[in-house]
Amino acid sequence: MTTINTELFGKEFSMPLADTWLAYWLVILRITAGWWLLHAGMDKIWNWPFDASWFVGGAAEGTTVGPFVTLFDSGILLDVVNWSIPLGQAAIGLGLIFGALTRTAAYFGALLMLFFYFINGETGGWSHGVVTGDLLGLVIFGMIATLGAGRVLGIDAYLVETDFVQKHPKLRFFMG
Amino acid sequence: MSELTTADRIALYGGGGLFALGVFLIGLFEMLAGAEHPVTGEGQIVHDAVIDVEIRAYIILAALLVWGLYVIYRVVATTPSVPEGDAA
Repeated sequence: MTTINTELFGKEFSMPLADTWLAYWLVILRITAGWWLLHAGMDKIWNWPFDASWFVGGAAEGTTVGPFVTLFDSGILLDVVNWSIPLGQAAIGLGLIFGALTRTAAYFGALLMLFFYFINGETGGWSHGVVTGDLLGLVIFGMIATLGAGRVLGIDAYLVETDFVQKHPKLRFFMG
Repeated sequence: MSELTTADRIALYGGGGLFALGVFLIGLFEMLAGAEHPVTGEGQIVHDAVIDVEIRAYIILAALLVWGLYVIYRVVATTPSVPEGDAA
């Protein structure tokens, strides 16, 4: 059992934490969120070629993130999206499941969710409210990145101890 | 986390405040004082919002941007102070 003593919003508080259960749930979170994206990526890879034009060119048009996303709706930039979404989702999933470059994986997972949140939400008229699965996913990715969940039963636990990372401590921002 | 920088405070108060406002406070207001949520014959809930749901989404977007910019600031301008091999 660990007790966290800290201050938040002007109030001091203590929070006892069961170490084992915290570590356990970080791994559960990683595996769940990781499989979510690994599955999404592999689905697209098995059904290659993937064409995102309906999403970046059609669905995204007129949404909050549309002005940025629709820049990728044709030509070589669409090709970049068509490759990077399936491979990126699979890589994010693998990174989270195996705890490798966990914060990087979680960051890009959150970025994807940002786009999905607004495009899915706005095109659906927010018919399921403003808190959707995409927003929950985004928050979970934020939590995984904040807690550095890759250090629990993850490859990052080894990576942070390598000489290279020791000499370049900023790299810790990119791993658990 | 005992010594908060200005950037920490902006992320904590600004990002958290906007997020809580967009997700919870406006939601609570809609629940208590907002328009009714009639259910159609197909069982779908019709959402008539007092505060445009787009505005709510923009407030949440602003919170996410504050947090996102904070992350970029941390990576660019600071170095992690976590002890070596500090596993949870």
